[in-house]
Amino acid sequence: MTLQATDLRRVVGERTLFSGLSLQVEPGQTLVLRGPSGSGKTLLLRALAWLDALDAGQVTLDGRDAVAWGVPQWRTEVAYVAQSPAVFAGSPADFLQLVKELTAQRGRGCSDAIALAAAWGLPTRAWSQRWADLSGGERQRAALAVAVSRQPKVLLLDEPTSALDPDATAAVEASLAGLTCVWVTHDSAQAQRVGTGVVELA
Amino acid sequence: MTGPIALTPLDLLVAASLIGLNAALSLWLGLGLERKLLVASVRTVVQLTLLGYLLVPVFALHQPLIVFGMLAVMVTLAGREAVSRTERRFAGMVPSAFLAMTLGAGATALIGTAIIGVDPWWEPRYLIPLVGMILGNALTGVSLGMDRCTALLDDNRDRVDTLLAMGATRWEAARPIAAEAARTGMIPILNAMSAVGLVTIPGMMTGQILGGTDPVEAALYQVLIMFLIAAAVAIGVGASVMLTVRALFDDEHRLRPERLSKR
Repeated sequence: MTLQATDLRRVVGERTLFSGLSLQVEPGQTLVLRGPSGSGKTLLLRALAWLDALDAGQVTLDGRDAVAWGVPQWRTEVAYVAQSPAVFAGSPADFLQLVKELTAQRGRGCSDAIALAAAWGLPTRAWSQRWADLSGGERQRAALAVAVSRQPKVLLLDEPTSALDPDATAAVEASLAGLTCVWVTHDSAQAQRVGTGVVELA
Repeated sequence: MTGPIALTPLDLLVAASLIGLNAALSLWLGLGLERKLLVASVRTVVQLTLLGYLLVPVFALHQPLIVFGMLAVMVTLAGREAVSRTERRFAGMVPSAFLAMTLGAGATALIGTAIIGVDPWWEPRYLIPLVGMILGNALTGVSLGMDRCTALLDDNRDRVDTLLAMGATRWEAARPIAAEAARTGMIPILNAMSAVGLVTIPGMMTGQILGGTDPVEAALYQVLIMFLIAAAVAIGVGASVMLTVRALFDDEHRLRPERLSKR
């Protein structure tokens, strides 16, 4: 399924973050999203996930927009992963259980998030610890693994390896190769490695 | 016994002097509450006296239109008062509180008059005090529930957004917060129900006993009222929390925290 965005515009206060922006992500491609801080990369990702509103433009997956899909269904197919995961009261295992239930309600199954994160060096015991007791890198891997385990059609990744060491970063990049992603990164070497296309925000 | 001993203006003057104790405490500890205390005291005197004088013709005229007009004013004021106690606001918050309390107080007052067997069912001598007591408690629950719900949604945007991003509907994403807010709204009445009779003698029971009613009969009345109040709080809190969630998410399941303004 192709994610297509056409003529997107978003204005915050007096500032136009982007206007006339179009992009397209074909299955299996990774579109790298670059730009200086404050250029609207996160906002664009959130808008693609239908979490933030746009001032103009159209976003479709397989030719249909989120309203036609049903917004919760859209977000099941187009999964946004924030740079800093939300710190919930319980453990990542609790969160995983909740996400499994939500995903099942949307008619989809999950793969094994714990095994996936283990491949990125996240120990299994981290899943039963409290979110608050995990390091930034542990949280980032757990949250990313949960999102990937839902097997969405498109992943919207906001600097998914910003808190990881080079080994874990390489492992994440290897796991995500071949998936359909919009990937925000400040790291030009990473952009070279993972990207099949680039969109620059000014 | 033929009813309570009537109070004279002198009696009230003596009682008013007791407020001097509050004033003394405020001055001594530098609380700066003197002005508030004065305003609150004057409001107590004026509002309650006016109510007394207003109820005489309302009871005497015995017109449903007048009774419902008065109830409408009471619920409107309760809606405004509930929102004035919350830290955060959104457009349509007062109408939401109004609607929640109309549902809660309306449904329970109707059931109450039906149980008591009041004839006609809108008999002002029963309906107005009943609604007043129910509203007073529903007001506390609704304002606490809405205050907590708006605060939690504002402070947990990232958690709510994460659940939405995982494919939750707005109701699924708001559910833990709505539950916590509803719990907060219901705690005061649950506490009151536990302490009643052991520590506290509620105002209505006191009034009936002073008025010469048999204490057992007064107690039974109070039990009925407590249950009505508890049900009204549950309906009011539930409805107000749902309306708050409804107002702070849009139809496309997006959280809209910019709709909140902080005082």
